[in-house]
Amino acid sequence: MSNPAEAGVLLEHLFRRQAGRMVSHLTRLLGPANLDLAEETVQEAMLRALQTWPYQGVPERAEAWLFRVAHNAAIDALRRRRFSAPSAEDSPEDTIAALARAADTIPDRPDLEEHLRDEELRMIFMCCHPEIPRDAAVALSLKTVGGFGVNEIARAFLAEEAAIAQRLVRAKRQIRDRGLTLDMPAGRDLPARLDAVLEVIYLIFNEGYTAHEGDALIRHDLCGEALRLGRLIADSSLAAPRVHALVALMALQAARSPARIDSLGELVVLEEQDRSRWNQDLIALGFQQFERSIAGGAPSVYHAQAAIAATHARAASGADIDWHMILSLYDDLLAMNPSPVVALNRAVAVARVQGPAAGLAAIETLRTDPRLRGYYLLPALRGHLLLELDRPGEAAGCFRAALECRCSEPERRFLRRRLESA
Amino acid sequence: MSQFLLLLYNDTTRPRRLSPEEMQNTLERYMAWRNEPFTLDGQRLAEDVGRVIRSDNGTPRTSDGPYSETKEVLAGFYLIEAANYDEAVKLAITNPHAQHGTIEVRQIYGT
Repeated sequence: MSNPAEAGVLLEHLFRRQAGRMVSHLTRLLGPANLDLAEETVQEAMLRALQTWPYQGVPERAEAWLFRVAHNAAIDALRRRRFSAPSAEDSPEDTIAALARAADTIPDRPDLEEHLRDEELRMIFMCCHPEIPRDAAVALSLKTVGGFGVNEIARAFLAEEAAIAQRLVRAKRQIRDRGLTLDMPAGRDLPARLDAVLEVIYLIFNEGYTAHEGDALIRHDLCGEALRLGRLIADSSLAAPRVHALVALMALQAARSPARIDSLGELVVLEEQDRSRWNQDLIALGFQQFERSIAGGAPSVYHAQAAIAATHARAASGADIDWHMILSLYDDLLAMNPSPVVALNRAVAVARVQGPAAGLAAIETLRTDPRLRGYYLLPALRGHLLLELDRPGEAAGCFRAALECRCSEPERRFLRRRLESA
Repeated sequence: MSQFLLLLYNDTTRPRRLSPEEMQNTLERYMAWRNEPFTLDGQRLAEDVGRVIRSDNGTPRTSDGPYSETKEVLAGFYLIEAANYDEAVKLAITNPHAQHGTIEVRQIYGT
């Protein structure tokens, strides 16, 4: 590898995105009851890369290397375990032969991308089966398809790691006990499964877009992955108005990414962003999908959020934002999804339309909501509003409280700047 | 410039359960180090105990390597270039391995 930056891009692709695709692929070969084994062998392949590549460098065909090692690890595990799969009809010998064949042919398949994409979609739809509790299904999808660590899923959910681990155990038990398959749902099963799938995709997007911890505020790969999966469904026979609404929402939000961080690496709030830095391709995609989303069907939470994002995108400058429209859309959204995070975002619009005191009143009841405990945006917003009300002492206390919460380095620096101005 | 051999030992009892993201970050730090011009070569060693040949009154006797009983195993080596021991040690410390394992630094004689 001649260029370190190039190596970074290659590895990003391999470790972040490839994990989920490899797990999906191996689960198909091993059978859903052996999802754990698929995950272990992928983990094993990556661990071997981690032990080998630092000395010998990244191999020329790194992806093929990982696939080969993962397949071989699966074959070894099957031989070691005197394998018996309750749901697989094949004998272990057949599975081993299929793994060996795939190890040789998979990296060279001309339709590899398409094949892996299909495997991934099947995997998401299995993870979102109604037999699996919703929260467990979402966690499982993030882990197996998104390649997320348990700690990262915990952050995305504002939950404890142990709770997430427990959810994963439950989900896998359901897959085994119910004999769930990787067959695509059809008929009346499809809408409910699709809703769950969309929720998963949006959570993946949010994890990438807000990234509560670490130095990189925006993990483009996650947003890109969520957009890719969303577009994959939007372009398939499974498309529905709410699918287009979700893709519109994600595209319009992701379009702002380049403007969310300035040249010094500092966070820029929406109203102060340089709109010329917004990604015009994504804006165009967002509006195109938004158009499609309003062609029939019941309005969804994604429609309301896409409409909010579209209202922001239509404003020529930060001063031209139609806050009355945004507040009314947040009212719609809150009616459909009465979550404290939505209420918190609505309070921003309330403050813009009715003044900071009204905004402050709107978040008062949220302060005791256990679901927002440790969420930095609540004290950060309170501090911001108190500052506007010329109550710097109380505002400083809020920013200090916000700094106690988990957040990314740019967010932390932003909060420190606010604290200094208080 | 002199050449130095860095011998890297792994603590095999240390559990390693990393997310893809953590693996990604770890590997990137290693690769950045390996791509520095001072690194001349590097190889990972197989994960077995190896063999040791000792002379027993003039007769070579082979046995399993020194690692079967220990928790620290020689995992790999790098050949690097540095002005002197001080610099070689400084460079070795910047290798991510220094944060969790042992690194032995030896100068190649005559370089």
